[in-house]
Amino acid sequence: MTIPEDFKTRLKIAKSKIKKKLDNDEGKKGSFMGNAFKLGTELVAAVVVGTIIGFILDSWFDTKPWLIIIFFFLGAAAGMLNVIRAANRMQKED
Amino acid sequence: MASNPMQQFTVFRIGPEIKIAGVDLSFTNASLFMVISASIILFFLFFGSKEKKIIPDKIQLMAEMFYSFVAKMISDTAGTKAKPFFPFIFSLFMFVLFCNMVGMLPYSFTVTSHIIVTLIMALFIFVAVTIIGFVKHGFKYLSIFVPSGVPAVLLPLITIIEIISYLSRPVSLSVRLFANMMAGHTMLKVFGSFVVSLGILGGWLPLSFSVALTGLEILVAFLQAYVFAILTCIYLNDALNLHH
Repeated sequence: MTIPEDFKTRLKIAKSKIKKKLDNDEGKKGSFMGNAFKLGTELVAAVVVGTIIGFILDSWFDTKPWLIIIFFFLGAAAGMLNVIRAANRMQKED
Repeated sequence: MASNPMQQFTVFRIGPEIKIAGVDLSFTNASLFMVISASIILFFLFFGSKEKKIIPDKIQLMAEMFYSFVAKMISDTAGTKAKPFFPFIFSLFMFVLFCNMVGMLPYSFTVTSHIIVTLIMALFIFVAVTIIGFVKHGFKYLSIFVPSGVPAVLLPLITIIEIISYLSRPVSLSVRLFANMMAGHTMLKVFGSFVVSLGILGGWLPLSFSVALTGLEILVAFLQAYVFAILTCIYLNDALNLHH
């Protein structure tokens, strides 16, 4: 028994509809609170890592407190970079 | 009853003390709940895939939904090149999800609310992704620290910032999961103690909050497992497909 052409096209349309619906649902899934948490930790983590690197380098080269200050600000810059990237990703997802 | 909201996070030893070369390897309640979560996953997937019916029953349907959910997540974020890493990401997602969900049961212990657990997972991912990047691209992988189109004067500064941003990945990945789980469970305990201290007259308001928060916590438990897995995919994508 062959499948009639009409049924095939109908199946195709139905499948594409389901796919579209699924894609739409997926975009909404990342809830706003999760996104907010994501951005917050992204910013803080880079500052912490930068400060720790500065602290370690300071005790290596005996230059207290200059490197820790410099790396604190570099870490803050890296954090902002992370946040911008994460936000760009979120926009792309929507 | 424990009135201290942080008491639920104490790790204690179960059974005899095991010490190997000065390292304490005793079986704790944290290990117990990791074993419980892992065995629930094993049993669930075993029974979900035992009978391969064309019309699936409930448990098979759930197992297939998890499978297709993770498969879609990987193909959406990291492309077809990441298909070989499906088993790893699937196990990671299931483990984090079930640890979070088992932690939602009363009198249980939330493994993921300890930073050492999440940090070890995040560090493993970080090291693995770095190794994969170097294996795939050789020393060209270092070019992710040098973005294109930056003036030569700013290049050293940008490179340092990029390196800090790269190193902050495991920290943000682990702190996010740990902080979410710990904050949520502490909040539940605090509201629970409000119910007790306000008694039968005033206790209804915090009780209703508690019920709402439990629902929210279940959402957070799922969401954090999802975020953990999807960020792993994104990092993997950076390592596999250079120059995004």
